[in-house]
Amino acid sequence: MAKYLLKRLLQSVVTILLIVSVVFLLMRLMPTDYYFSEDELMKLTEDQKQSRLEAEGLLDPPLVQLGNFLVRLSRFDLGTSRRIQTNKPVVDVIGSRFGVSMRIGLTALGIALVIGVVLGVLQARFKGHAIDHVGTGYTVFINAVPTLVSYSLVLIFGARVLGLPSLYSVRKVQQSSILPIACLTLTSIAGYMLWTRRYMVDELNKDYIRLAKLKGLNDRQVMFRHVLKNAFVPLAQYLPYSVLMTVGGSLLVEKFFSVPGMGPLLTDAISRYDTNVVQGCVLLYATLGVVGVLLGDLLMVLVDPRISLSGKGEVR
Amino acid sequence: MKKLLSFVLAMVMILSVASFASADEIKELHTYETQSREIETWNVLMSQKAVDNNVMVNLVDGLLTNNNKGELIPAAAKEWYSEDGGATWTFKLNEGMKWVDQNGTVKADVKASDWVTAMEWVVNFSKNNGTNTSMPFQMVKGAKEYYEYTKELAAAEGEEAAKALTADGKFAEMVGVKAEDDLTLVYTATYPMSYFPTVCTYTSFYPLSPELIAEIGVDGYKAAEPATIWYTGPYIIESFTAGNEKVFKQNPEYFYANDTEGHKRFERVIIKMIESQDAAYQLFQTGELDHATLSPSNLNIISNNPSNEFYKNLVEARPTKYSYQIHFNFDKLFEDGTADENWNKAVANEAFRQLFYYGLDLTQYLRTINAINPLACVNYAYSANNVAGKSDGTDYAAMVVAAQGLSYASDTYMRYDADKAAALKAQAKEELTAAGVTFPVSIDYYIAGGDQTQLDRANALKQTISDYFGDDFAVLNINTYVSSIAKEVAALHKASIYINGWGADFGDPINFLSQETYGEDSAYYTVTYSFANNATDENLIAVYKEFTDLTNAAHAITDDDDARYDAFAKAEAYFLEHALCVPIYYDVQWELTCINDYTRVYSPYGSQTYRYVNWETNDQIYTSEDYAAFAAAQ
Repeated sequence: MAKYLLKRLLQSVVTILLIVSVVFLLMRLMPTDYYFSEDELMKLTEDQKQSRLEAEGLLDPPLVQLGNFLVRLSRFDLGTSRRIQTNKPVVDVIGSRFGVSMRIGLTALGIALVIGVVLGVLQARFKGHAIDHVGTGYTVFINAVPTLVSYSLVLIFGARVLGLPSLYSVRKVQQSSILPIACLTLTSIAGYMLWTRRYMVDELNKDYIRLAKLKGLNDRQVMFRHVLKNAFVPLAQYLPYSVLMTVGGSLLVEKFFSVPGMGPLLTDAISRYDTNVVQGCVLLYATLGVVGVLLGDLLMVLVDPRISLSGKGEVR
Repeated sequence: MKKLLSFVLAMVMILSVASFASADEIKELHTYETQSREIETWNVLMSQKAVDNNVMVNLVDGLLTNNNKGELIPAAAKEWYSEDGGATWTFKLNEGMKWVDQNGTVKADVKASDWVTAMEWVVNFSKNNGTNTSMPFQMVKGAKEYYEYTKELAAAEGEEAAKALTADGKFAEMVGVKAEDDLTLVYTATYPMSYFPTVCTYTSFYPLSPELIAEIGVDGYKAAEPATIWYTGPYIIESFTAGNEKVFKQNPEYFYANDTEGHKRFERVIIKMIESQDAAYQLFQTGELDHATLSPSNLNIISNNPSNEFYKNLVEARPTKYSYQIHFNFDKLFEDGTADENWNKAVANEAFRQLFYYGLDLTQYLRTINAINPLACVNYAYSANNVAGKSDGTDYAAMVVAAQGLSYASDTYMRYDADKAAALKAQAKEELTAAGVTFPVSIDYYIAGGDQTQLDRANALKQTISDYFGDDFAVLNINTYVSSIAKEVAALHKASIYINGWGADFGDPINFLSQETYGEDSAYYTVTYSFANNATDENLIAVYKEFTDLTNAAHAITDDDDARYDAFAKAEAYFLEHALCVPIYYDVQWELTCINDYTRVYSPYGSQTYRYVNWETNDQIYTSEDYAAFAAAQ
């Protein structure tokens, strides 16, 4: 187990470094004009632009720049933002945002997980009954209707009927978080319902369930002792990933409700060519992704004793 | 009967005035910006971007500002004058101004030397990275030389040596800005310029306390934040959350705090960052914003339905300071980097270019900018309105329009001349065919991908070109870029035409015309969009050189403003009649609002437009009739 963990950790570090290095080098392929805002391009002379690039080491060969970046990275120095919040350390730019995303994301995830799994279980338990049809209809509706449309419906109902704030506000955090959380929750519930129902229906059709019933276990015992436990294994694998990725925020919801979170940061940084922030976000997302998958594998071992991480049968 | 009618009318007027008077002014203004326009720096000296200046001009007072008519009025300076024909300018500061921190605690007195410290910062290579230097270089004696000195010093002795420089010593020796005493500031201009005070509304001429630098250091000021900067302006930042909102509260030590008549302030200003214009309309409907500029789709929904709740509240905003033009690319390249000879030959032909000037009635295109009143945004001059004016009050842009033999009409697109267009088309076809140009000529035009407003406008332009030129003569191809037209399209010479907007930084026509001259590195449009310096057609080069000579001759007149503007108007009319670029529109939008735009700061140049001082508001939405009265009274 320890050997396996060490190996996976080393693989994770190499993966993250590879991702970060590739992104770093790709960004150095951009013409140097991309380091300047439109106004700067308009008002700085060529000489001024060159002097600035030179002073910031951006005219050095890409591999030299990469080496400098990795040395700084070893000191947790990601440089400063060029455009998003000029000259502010990237760590601070990201740090000021991920708490907001995580709070909203975790709340939505918690609600969605509880409601989604419970409804999924009920759908499987009463397959073909009214609750199953209603649940399936809801899932189809959420997946069929473009996300922005369903968000708009939530916004119109929430703001005009319930009088809730349309935008997130740091001065009214609880009240103004309701609509963003509602949007995230309503879409996530559909996902958890769909997968819980599917895994449970799969399990219900397996031989060991018939055997359990023949042995005299009632439906309730079958559902909770066997079916749900086994159906939860594939869901469990993605749980750590889902939890960690709440830090990343939701691009659409956060833009829609002006939530000052991580969601729009990467796209903003890309569109404004804020290379240091892009680099910081890539590092964060890569780390969260890799760690999320690793934790998922570990959680699977905990919930399903049949899975072993050592020997030939180890996962992944 | 007449008496009765008069009585009824009088009563109606009294009642309407009474009902109007009973409405309350807004104390807490809720306004917005779209999320792509978030502030990037809190260092007032470091930015030339409107997104930053729109905030910063409320936090720090420059020497001068504008009133709602666009006139210069005092801010930190109570009077200003030149005794030598504009070679040096003296500013007398108000006595008793204070720097305060975010808590409103007094940190220092405002002194004339703060402007000297600030200028040293701006033109020091290691402090301001070359940003915001264009106007000091052009206008302040020795500024450019000092910049070069600091750059060389940084290269020779390191950044820290240049950062350690102060406004004393070398700067005082080299640069034409001096504090004669605590309240007297004197600038020496690079040449006599009557318009020097207009540049003092711009942030490159804002103050900086040396005591603030002593407190937070050079690097601290580079990465300034609301909690670390000091304030002298009407407001202080109460809270700021990037991408979400900024809250301004009143600065208790603001110099004009007790002069509520001329410097009325809101108790609070809340700027929400929203996803799009459509979101603004939604928030206006729920009462969460006090105004909303309408997207074309929302404008159509309201204006086409007289029973819409906002139908009677549609109001036309004042034009922005920007003048928009079609720029031609004289050195167009294909995607693979080879020259687009067909276009380059066509656009070098004067008759072909003049077809864009005389041969297009752009009313249909203008309808995509102003659906209700398209001809309100017609623009026949390259320079924007109200940038400068003669001693008899004639506006410079009006002089340019008149010099072309044009005038504005509310029902006709005056520049279109069908007979002349037919003759020009025949001439262009004959000359270009002889030159080997094939028809239809492809005109590549770029818009931002996913931007419906730009797509609607591009389609209207395409249709107009099709209608007036004919598909056998020229075809507009609409292409897209991802996020930056300058970097993704213009830098690669990919478009045939561009539609650009220029707003003046200071009050003189040279700020417009110097962007278009031939063979000068500082001519922004020539160097980055039209690439006229790369043109090979002798006639085109001759026309450009003549325009450049006319512009420089006008710029050399420094002792007679009227003669200067006459000469500039002649140069600009020459530029337009030879269709080196084609003016197209002013931005005039429609909105729903509780703000009387006609009382807001109006800045035909500089960066004062978003100063939240002296705004008249109403907690009821203004009606179209209210706005008609405001416009008439202006």
